[in-house]
Amino acid sequence: MLTQNDLERYDRQIMIHEIGKEGQEKLKSATVFIAGAGGLGSSISIYLAAAGVGTIRIVDHDTIELSNLNRQILHWNKDIGSKKACSAQNKLQTLNPDIEIQGGDETITEENISRLAAGSDLIIDAMDNFPTRYILNKYAVDNSIPFFHGAVKGFEGRVMTVIPGKSACFRCLYKGPVPEEKSPVIGVLPGLIGCIQATEVIKYITGIGELLSNKLLLYDGLEMKFTILKINRNPDCEHCGHLTIQEDT
Amino acid sequence: MSIKVHIHKSHRQFTDGLSVVDSNGKTVGECLDNLIKRYPGIKEKLFDKKGNLLNVIEIYVNLESAYPNELIKKVSNGDDIYLTAKLSGG
Repeated sequence: MLTQNDLERYDRQIMIHEIGKEGQEKLKSATVFIAGAGGLGSSISIYLAAAGVGTIRIVDHDTIELSNLNRQILHWNKDIGSKKACSAQNKLQTLNPDIEIQGGDETITEENISRLAAGSDLIIDAMDNFPTRYILNKYAVDNSIPFFHGAVKGFEGRVMTVIPGKSACFRCLYKGPVPEEKSPVIGVLPGLIGCIQATEVIKYITGIGELLSNKLLLYDGLEMKFTILKINRNPDCEHCGHLTIQEDT
Repeated sequence: MSIKVHIHKSHRQFTDGLSVVDSNGKTVGECLDNLIKRYPGIKEKLFDKKGNLLNVIEIYVNLESAYPNELIKKVSNGDDIYLTAKLSGG
């Protein structure tokens, strides 16, 4: 039930015909799990908190370093040396005291993902490595909850939304391990890609619009170009190959 | 027959800066072989020493994923092959 404060705080988005009070109530009732409080996690969490998502759980094991600050806008100069999860929780709770923010200072593993993501309606990928992304994707597929993938490098980013049982999953494109690397990145890039992921999350929760499922959105900041590529489900996929695909009616 | 190969930004240093290169062949693999004959420096960015496509490389034909078995996927005149690379940063 929306309060008078909610009606005022979220007035500009409640005014959107596709959202309205009903959509705002769905956002308020939602619980989202954000894996990572770095560049992507900063923009994703700020906008979902501002939008009134009722419960945001954000998990990251890292400590804030000076070199994070060109892009990880949740964390400021005074936070250097603090844990990202703690910094994120404090900032987001200050931004919106009417929602619940849960910070988790842990490394996401196959062993603890069930506990960390328990009760979440969806999982948002704000990680910086493939192995953890596959842990998140598998958990999402096994538990039939959506997975919102995003990744960045240089001026280039990509976004993909996984709806288990209906679309290709992140593992469907797996060909084998990829060497880990320290990715260069212009600070605005995770801001933009994270905002697209947050938009997908809001659309999913409120049940509006068309999702980037079975699609991969590529963004090229140098040429200022968006490209949408069609992704096919892999029937031999280790994560989702066993699922029977449901067609939309 | 002309197939356009769209070169990823990180590989254009090997194609004289070109973002699109005309190639030919009946399959994606043949088109890439043709590309490599003209621009040999790009080979190690696409294939390992055994000739397998690198795991980080993704190929799309006419904006649709060609995975799996990308290299034997048939192409025809006017098709577009897009070479992209997986991203890991967050």
